[in-house]
Amino acid sequence: MFNGIKGVLYRELNVYRKRARKLILASSLSPLLYLIAFGWGFGDRVVAGGLPYITFLIPGLITMSSLNQSYGISQEINIARFYFHLYDEYLIAPVGPMEIVLGEIFYGMFKGLLSTILIFIYALIFSVDLIISPLFFLSILIHTFLFSSLGTTIAMVIKDHGSQATVNTFVITPMIFLCGTFFPVDRLPYVFKLLVYALPLTYSTKVIRASLTGGEVSIFFLALMVAYASVFFYTAYLAVRRVEA
Amino acid sequence: MMKELLEVRGLVRRFGKKTAVAGIDFTLEEGAFVGLLGPNGAGKTTTIRMLTGLYKPTSGSVRYYGRDFFSNQKGIKGNIGVVHQYSNLDRDLTAFENLNLHCILHGIPRSERKKRIEEALEFAGLAEHRNHQIKTFSGGMKRRLVIVRALLHEPRILFLDEPTVGLDPQIRRSLWDLIVKVNQVKSMAILLTTHYIEEAERLCKRVMIINEGKIIADAPPEELKKDLGRFVLEVFHEDGIEERLFQSKEEALEALKGCRETCKIREVTLEDVFLNLTGRRINV
Repeated sequence: MFNGIKGVLYRELNVYRKRARKLILASSLSPLLYLIAFGWGFGDRVVAGGLPYITFLIPGLITMSSLNQSYGISQEINIARFYFHLYDEYLIAPVGPMEIVLGEIFYGMFKGLLSTILIFIYALIFSVDLIISPLFFLSILIHTFLFSSLGTTIAMVIKDHGSQATVNTFVITPMIFLCGTFFPVDRLPYVFKLLVYALPLTYSTKVIRASLTGGEVSIFFLALMVAYASVFFYTAYLAVRRVEA
Repeated sequence: MMKELLEVRGLVRRFGKKTAVAGIDFTLEEGAFVGLLGPNGAGKTTTIRMLTGLYKPTSGSVRYYGRDFFSNQKGIKGNIGVVHQYSNLDRDLTAFENLNLHCILHGIPRSERKKRIEEALEFAGLAEHRNHQIKTFSGGMKRRLVIVRALLHEPRILFLDEPTVGLDPQIRRSLWDLIVKVNQVKSMAILLTTHYIEEAERLCKRVMIINEGKIIADAPPEELKKDLGRFVLEVFHEDGIEERLFQSKEEALEALKGCRETCKIREVTLEDVFLNLTGRRINV
């Protein structure tokens, strides 16, 4: 059962290890810029969701950055599949689709969690107090699982590299900007509110922010995250099962 | 008598309205060395991809040792080794890491992995490159590595899809030696696809000629050629080459005497067999 998971992780982590310096540097830059521009720029003068803006922003950056990293496996799978035909090696091996999916998802979670640690380091530097509770660990695990599953699904469903960029432009980028990363979604016009409440990042942001800032965590939202994660996990499984190299 | 390893019946694959494989049937015994010879687009790669689980067939059955492949893929894939016509090695990993990945995926115990990998690298003549990244390898080195990688889990059958395509003649010959060694030393059945006549004639004990998704001939190379004659007299006309077939060299030499244009005698090849069967050449 575990050979597929071990194999996928062996490859992904070895490649990551060799590029770690570049990858960590690249993933740390944009959250830092947001922190400098919005965090320091607005400082304590702006209050959002009842919190000083920088305290509001850091949990948003955690969800954004971990989403980027977890979902980002989509691009890596895509290149491995279309350009280097590495997926053929998985598909001819005596491993099941579930193992391949879990291997990719665990790798996506690893990347997401690593970027979370980076933001915590920024929080320390910017002297922002956060509460790290078991609920936070649970929510960040579900969040990274959810977006790694979505990334795996997209990578398997699309037919070429160009389609990947289209999904990023029309789904991922709007989601990052609209789902509560930088401002509370409650201030959005009604039509946009309908849209953002259909997107999973809204719930991740709310739950993760509440868990880190001592707010009340909605069990309903947490359940919705689990529901989204389950759906995307199943679609990833179906996509890998159907894929032809 | 050798045990039957693979049985293919009525295998069809369509891509939309296009039929790539139009119903093929054949069997393969343990230790066999069979070539699937045909021009580009004949259905060779599609056939291999169905036999290895990379494509799902539109219809038909594939059985390994009597077991249906498509309902027992996980259990059967351990008996199959595949070398694609492109290198699908991870260019960021070293030779050792690429082979180790294969071992992990095939469930080879950790205690055995190092030994098998070192042996494979030795077999391919790449031992000193074990810790070099694939991006530093030449085309020939990559081909050698993908061949030995496919052997690591000791499959019963090895599929080689155009293993020497795009390589220069010297490297091609060294790969032929390696492939023959695999068949003889490891007593592994080999199904090789190629559009190189010389490759099929030199390596294969049996050749299946495939054209437009159908197997149109299936016999040892000598038998396929025997029915046609042994020698060809090529007469170079201004508007093309005329080919006359003869059973003996003497007959061909006799015909050569009356030749007014440029003429050449050569032995019959599988290209002539293909031409005779389809009216066109394999390599155009």
